Amino acid sequence: AVCCAVIAILIAVVASSPTKGWSGRSLSLLDPTYASKYIPIIASVSEHQPPTWPSYFMDINVLAFLVPAGIIACFLPLSDASSFVVLYIVTSVYFSGVMVRLMLVLAPAACIMSGIALSEAFDTLTGSIKFQLLGYSSVNSQAAAGDASPDSTSAQSNALKPDKSEETAKERTSKKSKKKEKEREKEKEQVDQSSVQPRAGRRLQVLPLEASIIGVFLLILLGAFYVVHCVWAAAEAYSAPSIVLTSQTQDGGLHVFDDFREAYAWLRHNTEVDDKVASWWDYGYQTTAMANRTVIVDNNTWNNTHIATVGTAMSSPEKAAWEIFNSLDVKYVLVVFG
Amino acid sequence: MGLRFDLLLFTAALLFSPALSDLVLSKVDRRVDLTTQVVRITSTLKAENTGGNSVSEVLVVFPDRQAKTLAYLSAVSNAGKGKAKVSSVTLPVKEVELKGMPPSLVGYSVSLPEPLGKGESFTLDVLAVYAHSLKPFPEKITQADIQLLVFEDSAYYLSPYEVKAQSLTVKLPQARIESYTKLENTKIHGSDIKYGPYENLPPFSYSPIVVHFESNRPFAVARQVVREIEISHWGNVQVTEHYNIVNGGSEIVGEFSRLDFQARPHIRGPSAFKNLVAKLPPRAHSVYYRDEIGNISTSHLWGDSKKTELEIEPRYPMFGGWRTAFTIGYGLPLRDFLFESEGKRFINISFGSPINEIVVDTLIVKVVLPEGSRDISVSAPFPVKESRETKFSHLDLVGRPVVVLEKSNVVPEHNQYFQVYYTFSSISMLMEPLMLISGFFFLFITCIVYMHADMSISKSSPSYLAKLQWEEVQAVIQQIDNIISRCLAVHDKLEASLRDLSRTGDVQACKAARKLGDSALKELTKELKPLLSFLQSSSQAGHVVSKVDELVTKERELQEKLMVKLSTVVDCYEKKLSGREIENRINAQQQKITALRQEVDDLLEFIDEL
Repeated sequence: AVCCAVIAILIAVVASSPTKGWSGRSLSLLDPTYASKYIPIIASVSEHQPPTWPSYFMDINVLAFLVPAGIIACFLPLSDASSFVVLYIVTSVYFSGVMVRLMLVLAPAACIMSGIALSEAFDTLTGSIKFQLLGYSSVNSQAAAGDASPDSTSAQSNALKPDKSEETAKERTSKKSKKKEKEREKEKEQVDQSSVQPRAGRRLQVLPLEASIIGVFLLILLGAFYVVHCVWAAAEAYSAPSIVLTSQTQDGGLHVFDDFREAYAWLRHNTEVDDKVASWWDYGYQTTAMANRTVIVDNNTWNNTHIATVGTAMSSPEKAAWEIFNSLDVKYVLVVFG
Repeated sequence: MGLRFDLLLFTAALLFSPALSDLVLSKVDRRVDLTTQVVRITSTLKAENTGGNSVSEVLVVFPDRQAKTLAYLSAVSNAGKGKAKVSSVTLPVKEVELKGMPPSLVGYSVSLPEPLGKGESFTLDVLAVYAHSLKPFPEKITQADIQLLVFEDSAYYLSPYEVKAQSLTVKLPQARIESYTKLENTKIHGSDIKYGPYENLPPFSYSPIVVHFESNRPFAVARQVVREIEISHWGNVQVTEHYNIVNGGSEIVGEFSRLDFQARPHIRGPSAFKNLVAKLPPRAHSVYYRDEIGNISTSHLWGDSKKTELEIEPRYPMFGGWRTAFTIGYGLPLRDFLFESEGKRFINISFGSPINEIVVDTLIVKVVLPEGSRDISVSAPFPVKESRETKFSHLDLVGRPVVVLEKSNVVPEHNQYFQVYYTFSSISMLMEPLMLISGFFFLFITCIVYMHADMSISKSSPSYLAKLQWEEVQAVIQQIDNIISRCLAVHDKLEASLRDLSRTGDVQACKAARKLGDSALKELTKELKPLLSFLQSSSQAGHVVSKVDELVTKERELQEKLMVKLSTVVDCYEKKLSGREIENRINAQQQKITALRQEVDDLLEFIDEL
C-alpha cells in the first residue's frame, strides 16, 4: 500500500509539470526546434548544436564505414544480443545527429559494431588462408567437425578408408609424399581430439589465398592508422587546455598567448577583494579560481533569467548596459575580443 | 617649509657656531645621482684640523626629513689624488646623540682610523642612499604621460663645521628638466646641473633647491620580500623568494589601452616597466618563477661562471600603482656557501634581493639550518632585527632552527654578505638515513613475525582440528587426481596403439601395447585403493567423497569399454575384416567411450577447483 502511494505521488508530480518531467535539454532532443523557440540559452551552447559531417569522421574515423558492415553482420544470425546492439546503434546515431555532445553516446556503440564487423572479416579471411594452405582433407574434417559428435567417427573412418587405399597405392612413392600423409594423419588426430566443440551450422566461404593475405594485412594496417588517429584526436582536441595557446617563434622557442592568465592575475592583484566581475558564463569558473573575485554568472548557473540579464547588458547600448550593471553592483566587466 | 627651516638654521648657526670649531672642511664635493629610483649622494670631504686637540671623529648630520628616508650610509677613506685606491678603508659609522646643536637634526659619527693631529687633513667619501625620497609630481598621470619627479635638497652642504669651498653636481637621467631652482653659479651641462663653487660658508648653512625632472626608469618597489634560505648538508642550498611588487611611480588614472601600449610602448606607456633582471650567484640550478595561478612562462635565464642572470616579466606591464606578486626559487651548490672556521660552520650568503635596482620596504630573511644545529650566531654588516623560529620539514623530529632577520628600507647597497655561525656534528648527518633504514627494517621484521606466528588460541579446538583434517583431505585428493590423470594417459596410449594398428596393420605390436597398458592400469588401481579408504574414513570429506567415488567408477567403466573395443578391433584385424565392419562393431562402444571420457574430464575439473 505504501508502495502504491509513493508511485501515485510520483506520477502526480511528473504529470503536474508543464513538460511532464522532461527538462529543457532532453525535450530539445525529441524536438530540435524546441530550444530555439522557448529556451534560447540552451540553443546558444555550441555543444548542443547538431554536428557537421566532418565531425563524425573526426570522432569515429574508420568506424564510420565499419558500422554498416557490423549492422549487417548482426543480422545473420539475429539473436537477442545482436538485436540489442542494432537498436543501440540506431538510436544513438539519431541522437548524436541532434546534439553533437551526444557523440559520446555513439562512440561505444560504434566501437562494438565495428568490432563485430572486423571480427567477422578476420574470420572469413583467416579461414580462407587456413583452407588454402592445408588442403582439401582438412576441409572434410572441418566440415565434419561442424556436425554432431556421432558423425565425427564416421568422418574419421571415411577419411581412414580412402587414406588407406591411397597409401597402399602410393606405397613406393617418395618420402615427401609419405611425410605429407603423416602430416595429414596428424592433422586428423588433432582434429579428432579437438572435435568436441561443434560449431553450429557454419558454411565455409573460401577466397583466393593472395587476396586473403592482403586483406588481413590491410585490415591490420587500418587498425593501426585508427589507433594513431585516436591518439592524435585525444591529444589535440580533447586534452588541450584552451586557456593557453602556444606557437613556435622564429628561433625555435615557444611563444605563449597568455592573455587570459594575464587578465586574471591583474584582477587578482589590482582590484579590491569584494569587487564583482561580470562576464559571459564561460569564464565564470576561471575567474573565480584564478582571479579570486566574485562573478555574476558562471558555468553552473541554473537561473537562466540571470544569465539573460547579463546577456541583455552585454548587447545593449552603453547607457542601458551601465544601468543594468549598476543594479548588479558590478565593478569590472570581462570581455574577449580580437 | 624650506624657508622656515632655513631661518631656523641661520639663527642656530649664529647661536651655536662657537662649538666644534676644531675641524674645518676645506673642500666638499657633492655628487647627487638621480638616475634611478634611489637617490645616491656621494660627498667627498677634506677635513682639516685647525684646532689644538687631536680629533678622532667627524660628524655628519642630516635634517630629520631626509634622515627618515635615509636607507644606507657608509664612509670610505679616500687615498687622494695620485695614489691608488687600494688603501681605501671602510670607516665605522654610528648614530650619535647631538648635544648643543639645533633640534630636528640627526647625526652620525665617522671614526677616523687614527686621530688627526694638528694641521693634518684627511679625505673621506661619504655615501648616503635615500629610498622613497623622489616624489612623483604630478601624482597621477595617464598612460601616455611621462613621469616627472621632484627632488629637494640644499645647495650648501649642511655640516656642523665651517666649509671653505664646496660644489654640488646633480646628475639627471635624461636631458629633459622641467624646472630647477636657479641660484648664483648655476650651470647646466647636458643632463647635469652644477651648483657652485661656493666659498667660506658658516656651519649649518642651508639653501634649499628643488629639481623637477623627467625620469622613466623602472620604479620597482617591493612592499615585502620573504627570502627563505634552506641549507641541506646533502649538498644543496635552496633559496625561495616571495615578492610583492608595486610600481612606486606616478599612479595611472584613466584607461589602459593594450593596443596602444603594444604598438608603441615607449610613446604610450613610458612610465611602465615590463621586466626585472635578477643576478643570481653562478651555478644556480632548478630556477622556477611562478605565482599563485601557476608557472609564468615569460622569463629568460642565461649564466656563465661569474653569475646567472634571470630576466623575468610579470604577467602584465607594471604601470604606476599596479601590484603583482610572484615567487622565485633556485638551488645553489653547498660548497660555494658553507665554510668552516674554528670548529664552527658558517654560511656566507648575500642578504638582499638579487633583483637589480629594487627597493624593499620590508625584507625578511629566514635561514633554515639543518636539524641538530646548535650555538647559532649571526654577524651582519649592518643592524638587523633578529628572532628565532622552528620549521618542520622532511624527516624532522624536533624541527629545524630558523634564524629570522628583518630589515626595513632595503636598497641594493645592502646586498652584502652576512654570516650565520653554528655547530653541527658530522655524525648527526647520519641520523636521517638511519631513521629511514631502521623504519623499514622494523616494518619488515614485524611482517615476518606476523606471518610465522601461530595465533591460534587453543591447539585442540574443534575448528583448528577441522582445518588440519581438511588440509589432509586436500592432499589426498591431489594424489587421486594425479593417479586418474595417469590412467587417462594410459588410455591415450592405447588409443594411439589402435591408430598405429590401423596404419601399419601390425597386430603383434598392438597386443604388446595392450599388455603393457593392462599392467599399468592394474598398478594404478592398487595405488588408488588406500587413498580411497582414507577418504571414506575422514569426516571432513563428506561432500567430496561422493564425487570422487563417481569419478572412480566412471573411470573404471571407461577402462572396461576401452578394453572391449580394443579386443574387438584386434579380432577384426586378425580375421581381416573390412574397415566398415570394424566400424560397425565398435560403434556403440565408441559412443559410450567418448561420453564417459567427457564426464570424467568434467569431474576432474570440478575436483580441481576444490
